[in-house]
Amino acid sequence: MAVIELNGVGKTFAGTEVIRDVSLRIEDGEFCVFVGPSGCGKSTLLRLIAGLEDVTAGRIVIGGRDVTALEPYARGLSMVFQSYALYPHMTVRDNIAFALRTARLPEKEVAAKVAEAARMLQLDAYLDRKPAALSGGQRQRVAIGRAIVRQPQAFLFDEPLSNLDAALRSDTRHEIARLHRQLAATMIYVTHDQVEAMTLADRIVVLQAGQIMQVGTPRDLYERPANLFVAQFIGSPRMNLIPGNAIGEETAQIGVRPEHLRIVPSGTGRIKGRVEFAEYLGADANVILDCGAAGRLSMRLSGQALPGEKAVIDLDWNTDLTHRFDTAGLRILSVKT
Amino acid sequence: MIGALRWLVFGVAALILNFPLLATLATAFKTPAEITANPGLWVQSPTLANFQTVLTVSDRLNVWQHLGNSLVASLIGAILPIVICFPVAWGMARRGVGARVLFPLVINLRAMPLVIFAIPLYVMFRALGLLDTQLGLGLILAIVNTPLALLLLLQAVRDLPLELEEAARMDGAGLGRILLRIVLPLCRPAIITTFVFGFITAWNEFLFGLMLTTRDAVPMTVGASFFFAASGGGVQWGVAAAVIVVAALPPLLLGLVLYRRISGSMVAGAVKG
Amino acid sequence: MLVGAAYRRQNAVLAAPLVLFLLALLGFPAVMSLIYAASKADFETLMSPEFIGLANFSTVLTDPDFWQAAWFSTRFAVVTTLAECGLGLALAVFLAPLIRHHGWMVAVLIAPIMVAPAMMGLMYRLVLHEFVGPLPHYLYAIFGSAPSFLGVRNLFATVAVIEILQWTPFAFLLFLTAYNALPGDLREAAAVDGTRPWRMFWKIEWPLLLPTVGIALFIRFIDGFRVFDNIYVLVGPGPGGVTTSMSIYIYEAFFRAGDIGRALAAALILFGFAFAAVALAQRWQR
Repeated sequence: MAVIELNGVGKTFAGTEVIRDVSLRIEDGEFCVFVGPSGCGKSTLLRLIAGLEDVTAGRIVIGGRDVTALEPYARGLSMVFQSYALYPHMTVRDNIAFALRTARLPEKEVAAKVAEAARMLQLDAYLDRKPAALSGGQRQRVAIGRAIVRQPQAFLFDEPLSNLDAALRSDTRHEIARLHRQLAATMIYVTHDQVEAMTLADRIVVLQAGQIMQVGTPRDLYERPANLFVAQFIGSPRMNLIPGNAIGEETAQIGVRPEHLRIVPSGTGRIKGRVEFAEYLGADANVILDCGAAGRLSMRLSGQALPGEKAVIDLDWNTDLTHRFDTAGLRILSVKT
Repeated sequence: MIGALRWLVFGVAALILNFPLLATLATAFKTPAEITANPGLWVQSPTLANFQTVLTVSDRLNVWQHLGNSLVASLIGAILPIVICFPVAWGMARRGVGARVLFPLVINLRAMPLVIFAIPLYVMFRALGLLDTQLGLGLILAIVNTPLALLLLLQAVRDLPLELEEAARMDGAGLGRILLRIVLPLCRPAIITTFVFGFITAWNEFLFGLMLTTRDAVPMTVGASFFFAASGGGVQWGVAAAVIVVAALPPLLLGLVLYRRISGSMVAGAVKG
Repeated sequence: MLVGAAYRRQNAVLAAPLVLFLLALLGFPAVMSLIYAASKADFETLMSPEFIGLANFSTVLTDPDFWQAAWFSTRFAVVTTLAECGLGLALAVFLAPLIRHHGWMVAVLIAPIMVAPAMMGLMYRLVLHEFVGPLPHYLYAIFGSAPSFLGVRNLFATVAVIEILQWTPFAFLLFLTAYNALPGDLREAAAVDGTRPWRMFWKIEWPLLLPTVGIALFIRFIDGFRVFDNIYVLVGPGPGGVTTSMSIYIYEAFFRAGDIGRALAAALILFGFAFAAVALAQRWQR
C-alpha cells in the first residue's frame, strides 16, 4: 500500500486540454473518490494514474517511485472497469488467474491465490463458469477478484456500479466499503453519483472541466463548499442560490440548502414565496416556491405538513447556515460576529 | 394472394438460376443411351457408372490428383491471408497503422484485374521454379483473398471492446500475449468465416490455374476444362457431367451449409470495397 | 505506454508480413510489368528482353482487335451490370417478406455464386447443346424451335445471359441484406400515415438503398469488365474475336502469340483504366 501523488498533471487530446494542472496527494489506505459531471475528466484522470494513457505534463509518483513513464503493470495497480472487462472466452478461474500466469507464477501458487480471492468474494461456486453465465453482480465480484489477486499497491475503480440496476447498487456499494475495511487498501473510485461519493469516500475530489474544484471529506464539501460549483453539485435537492441584492445584502450570491429553510409566521420572514409545486415523497416533501426577485427556491419539509398549492408563505433561515459567494463564485469566509 | 405470387416467383427464380446445376447433375446420372434419347431434366434410369469412371484414375483424367492440388492450393490460399493479415488488422484497428497507404492499396486490389499480374508472375515463377507447383498456385490464391481477409479481420478487431485489451494490460500482458490469448480467440467466428469464403473463392479460381500450372499442379477447375477440350471426336457427356459435378461439389456444399456465415462476408467485402 | 521508436518498431513488425508478401508477389511483378511492357520479348528470349520504348503501347492502341475487345468488355459490363442489379433488386424487395419466414430460400437462390464461373461455362456447354442439352429440348417441345445459342449472331446475348444468371444472386444478396437493415420504424411510421407499398418503396426505401445500388453497380461492372472464365471455357475468343473480352485478349496475346510485350502493354492500359475508375468512384463517394 502506498501514497499516490500527482504533481501538475495535465493531459491534452487533439489540441484540447482535458486535464489541467492537477496536483493531489492520496494517503496510504485512503478511499478517495473522484466525482464530477460527465466530461469533467475524472475517468481520464484515473486512466492517467493507471498508465493506460500518457500524461502530457506533470509527474505521477506511487510509493515514492516516479511511475510517469511506466507501463500499467509496472505501477503495481489494479483496475476494475465499468463494464468489468472479463475475458468472455475464459472461465472465472482463468480470468482471475490470468495476471498471475502472465507473471509466470508456479501453478500451485496461482491456484492458492485464486482460491483465496474466490473465498473472500464468495465465488467458489462459479469458478468453472464463463462470464456469460453469471449475473451482473457476480461478474462485478469476479472483476474485483481479478483485481485483488494481484495484491496491488492501490485499487482503481471506474464507475463500477453504473451497469447495475438500482437495487443491486446499494448492496454492492456496501460490499465495496466492507472490502476497503478488510483490505485496508488505497482505493481510487470514479463516479458521477454524489451519493456513492458521499457514502464511500474518506475524501472526495470534485472535478470540473479537467480541474480540481475542491478536495475534502464529505462533511467539508457539504458544510463548507469552496465555490458555487461544489455547493450545487453536492447535496440533493440542490442548494438554493439567492441574488444578494434581492434581500438587501451586499454579497453577490447567498446559498441556503433546502433543508435549512423554515416556514415562519406571516410578516416575520426574510422572503415571501408562492408555492408552485408540492412534491409528496412519503417521509419527505419537496416544495418549490416562486419567490419573485429571489428566484425559484426549493424547500424540504416533512411529508406531514404540506402547504397547499398557490399558498403564499414566509420563509426564514439561520444566518450561520448561510453560504456566501462572491462574483467569481468563490466562497467568502464568513466573519463570525 | 400476393403470398402465393411470391412463392411462384421464388420457384421460377430458383429453377432458372439453378437450371445448369440441375441439368448437369441429372446428366451425370444418365446412361449414354439415355443422354441422347432423353435430354430432359428427369432421369428415368439412373446410373452411377459415370461417377465410377471419373473416380477411377485413367490417362485421360486423374481426378484425385486434381482434387488434391485444389485442396492444397486452396488451403494455402485461404489460411495464408489470415495469418498474414491478422497482426496488421489489429494494428490498423487500434493504432491506425497503414491507414494512409497500405489499407487503401489492399482494398483497391479487389477492383484490379489481377490478370495483369499473371504474366509477370508467370515469368517470376518460372525463374523461381514455382511454376506448376501447389505452393506457387497457393501463393497467388492467397493474394486474391488478401483484401477480403484484411477487411473482415479489421472489422472483427474493431468489434472487440477495447476494455478487454486494457484489462489485459493491467494484468501485465505484453502485446504478443494480448494478441494471442485475448484478441485471437475472440476473433474466431470471423476467422472461420474468412477461411470458408477464402477457400471457396480459391477453389473456384480458373485463370491463374490455367496460366500457372501445366501438369503436376493442375487444379480441379482447369482439369475439368481440359477434360472437355481433350475429348477429340465426341464428348462423353455423362462422364463430362460427372467431372463437373465433382469439381463443383466441394465449394457448393461448403457454401450451402455455411451460407449464413459467409453471406455476411460477401456483403461486407462488397460494401467496404 | 510504448512511445517513439519502440512504438514505431512494433507497428512495423505488425505490418511486416503483409508488406513483404505484397512486395514479393505484387510489387516485384509490377516492376517487371513495366520493364517487359517497354520491351520486345517472347518465351525464348524471356531473360533478355529488348528495350523498344513505347512501341508495344502503340501496337496495342492501333490494334483493331484491342479496341474490339475493349468495346466488348464495355458493352458486356454495362448490359450485365444493369440486368443483374435490376433483377437482384426486384427479387430482393419482392421476396423479402417471404424470406423472413423461410431463411433457407436464400441458400437456394445464392447457390450459383458458389459454383466456379469456369464450371458454370462448362455446364452451359451441356445445357445449350443442340442434341443433348435440356434447354433446346424443352424449347422445341414448347415452341417448336430453338435459337442457335452458340451461333455468331446470338453469342453476345448468350454469354451475357449466362453471366447475368450466375451473378444476379450476388446482387440479390447484397440488396436483401441492405433492405433488411433498413430501420423498421421508418416503415411503421409511413404505414401509420397510410402509405401504399409502391409509394413506400419509391419515396422511402429506394433513396435509402441508393448507396447499396451504387456499390452493386460498381462491383458488378468491374467484375463484368474483366470477365474471363465462363466465356473462355464456353467459346474461347469466339469466331472473329466476337467474344474476346479484355482479359481474353491479354491471355491470347501472351499464350497464343507469345508476344509478352504486347500482352503487358494491354494489361497496363487495362490497369490504368481500372485505377482511374476506382479513384473516380472513391471521389464520388466522398
